Amino acid sequence: MLDSEGAAAAPEFPVGLRVLLVDDDPTCLKILDRMLRKCLYHVTTCSQAMAALNILRAKKECFDLVLSDVYMPDMDGFKLLEHIGLEMDLPVIMMSADDHKDVVMKGVTHGACDYIIKPVRMESLKNIWQHVVRKKKNESKELDNSGSLDDNDRQRGVVDEGDNASSVCAGSWKSVKRKKVEGKDDDDDDEAVEEHEDPSHAKKSRVVWSVDLHQKFVNAVHHLGVDKAVPKKILELMSVAGLTRENVASHLQKYRLYLRRVSMPQYQGRLDSFAGCQDASYGSVGLIDSFNVHGLAVSTQIPLQSRTSIHPAPRSNTNVGIGASTVGQLGLIASGAPPNMVFPSVQQMNKQMSNTRGSSSNIQSSQLGQTPSVVQPYGSMSLQFGEEMPNFLTSSQASNFSLPGGTMSEQMNKSLTMQQTHNLQQFSFSQPRSNISILHSSGQLLNNNASNSSRFSSALMQQTSSNESSNHILGRLGITTNITSSPANYMKSSFSSFPQDLYVDAQSSFMNELSGNSYPSSSCIGVSPQTTSFQSLGSNNDLKGKIENVPGFNTINEHQNRSHEWKLQSVNIPYQTDHIVDFEQSNILSHSSLMSHHNTVATVSNRDNNSSVTVKEEIISLSNDIDVEKTTSFAQHKNANIDDDSIRLHYGVGPDMSYQDVLLDDIQNELMTVVGNQDPC
Amino acid sequence: MEYSSLHRQLATMKKSFFDQGFLDEQFFQIEELQDDVSPNFVEEVVTLFFKDSLRLMGNIDHALEKFPQDFDRLDSLIHQLKGSASSIGAAKMKNECTVFRDFCDKENQEGCIRSFQKVKKEHACLRQKLENYFQLLRQVGPVAKATRSGN
Repeated sequence: MLDSEGAAAAPEFPVGLRVLLVDDDPTCLKILDRMLRKCLYHVTTCSQAMAALNILRAKKECFDLVLSDVYMPDMDGFKLLEHIGLEMDLPVIMMSADDHKDVVMKGVTHGACDYIIKPVRMESLKNIWQHVVRKKKNESKELDNSGSLDDNDRQRGVVDEGDNASSVCAGSWKSVKRKKVEGKDDDDDDEAVEEHEDPSHAKKSRVVWSVDLHQKFVNAVHHLGVDKAVPKKILELMSVAGLTRENVASHLQKYRLYLRRVSMPQYQGRLDSFAGCQDASYGSVGLIDSFNVHGLAVSTQIPLQSRTSIHPAPRSNTNVGIGASTVGQLGLIASGAPPNMVFPSVQQMNKQMSNTRGSSSNIQSSQLGQTPSVVQPYGSMSLQFGEEMPNFLTSSQASNFSLPGGTMSEQMNKSLTMQQTHNLQQFSFSQPRSNISILHSSGQLLNNNASNSSRFSSALMQQTSSNESSNHILGRLGITTNITSSPANYMKSSFSSFPQDLYVDAQSSFMNELSGNSYPSSSCIGVSPQTTSFQSLGSNNDLKGKIENVPGFNTINEHQNRSHEWKLQSVNIPYQTDHIVDFEQSNILSHSSLMSHHNTVATVSNRDNNSSVTVKEEIISLSNDIDVEKTTSFAQHKNANIDDDSIRLHYGVGPDMSYQDVLLDDIQNELMTVVGNQDPC
Repeated sequence: MEYSSLHRQLATMKKSFFDQGFLDEQFFQIEELQDDVSPNFVEEVVTLFFKDSLRLMGNIDHALEKFPQDFDRLDSLIHQLKGSASSIGAAKMKNECTVFRDFCDKENQEGCIRSFQKVKKEHACLRQKLENYFQLLRQVGPVAKATRSGN
């Protein structure tokens, strides 16, 4: 195991690497199993792809790596590969006796970390651990990148820095957010963020492929011809300052892979937002957005121009328009990912907007009108995702995001945060530019897993909270979520210090207190907004039922679980959505309180009880509505098998949080009661 | 003397397998996996292979009887068999599977049937040889674990 903390007697890596082996051939299975054990790996065998998926869905965090055969009777190995990449974001190695180049290429395009030709030799297996290391390294590198932004931003920090400083990221997120919030005026173009950060960082800043930037890119590529486009020419056509040929080259590579996937009918829509899911960089902020936008055009036939057409009012245009486009994007993203999340939040946004600006009601309605239409196409998707949501959510092992699915959630987070930031901007600045910059910033922030969730949550939180506090919330939330949503390893290092800090801030935000210093775990934040978002999207019943709690819920668990691995002994297994349906999201929404973060750690069993899933969640009540909170948490635990070990209630105690404390206490008590009444799985 | 004679017999037998192309490098890999933890690993795997391959071959037999022939399905079946054979180092059998597959690609039903007969023949042949081998191995006892270098 790569994780070092907590494993007191952990053997030296890669000993103990937890491998899931999937092969329908019993002879191969036996041989490989033996080989892997000889490498001192911890092996779980599976002769069916579906069974393997179920195992992973139930115990995602119990595995470091998946080794799968290509040709299997019940499911194509590549399909399994896709699923794993999307839902669990674990490194997958494909194996086959088939060494044809096109098959190997298929493995690559589907995101396999490696392709081993059978018959497999011991030597081939000895080094498979490298893929686990590499993946984690890539993820932490992304985090580092976002962290580098922080230095620059610290100077401009307006929001108090009091939030938990347990992690560099936290600080960076906060500062980045702050920066985005305040300094948007400076940003002229898409690379604004990058430029701002560049001077002050030794580290290379990631290019934020914002919607506009990507659109330029796409235009250039299509002008040249997708197959003929070369980075140099694309760069020239784009004529964007600060963009290097290398940036374009890597983006082009990803774009091509994305196109390839999108062109596959069975993946249409579903994979749109997953382009580049497989690796962290691919799923980085800007890319997803762009792809989503592109996907929007491709899969939903909603012309990009329609974005602006939705908003008649000029003023709102900037804000709303952007919001609308974001919606569109989000819708797109939703196509790949649970759309519900996107739309509800959009709707919330709209609501918020109308609250704050009467004039935007028209736009809102139009937007709302728009969103449903965008949602429609994804209805089936949401359904599709509905059942997979838990998987997505729970897959955070090596993922970059706190929201559903690895890349997916990242994307969604991103879009959501973008959306949110836009809203924020609308409220605060009403400047088109700021919107863009937010996009940029959010994109950039989203590079980090944490950022995604933080953005998301912060954005959402802002929605529901008043405008004034939004900035602060944004900053705070950003940091908080950032931290919590970071990949397991990342979280591990900083998690312990988070819980307390995390919660307080969120709470204070909700309370419109700007003094809060802690940040709710990103997962929590992510969860709440999402769930509430879902609720708000009344028209999507299917989404409602399915996705409600899943996103945040799972993510939280995942992150919680991961980060708490050393803390909690019980196995944290992502749970299935089913039981989550009980979650009373609507209540939360109706109270217009900020999302309640569920940080209660509990074990939840699947409704079907087919697979017992232990979900650890920490319920943090960020909502002003205690009843809602209670309901939620209680509902959550109704079906839960709660491990005593896993019950943790973290609630930050802010200066004005006594009320919150009471709330949390109640929740905890309730949880304990539930625990006592249930048998741990 | 008896012991070492058996030992030599074993070694010679094994060497002939390789020389005649019945087994390849992969078989050594399997042997490497045998140790104190899994003292009969090689025999277990080989037994498992022969049992499972019988099932696969039965499927292929059924598939070959169909008309019109579904070559895609046939291809996937033979691919399975080939993969299985290659995993234990059954070289000749694997090669015959390749020939079969070529006929499959060309949608040559006749060719498929003929080559499949060869596959079955190689299968039976190897099975017999390895059965003898393991029988001898058992006689020699656990000490006389087959080694790569042979004697």
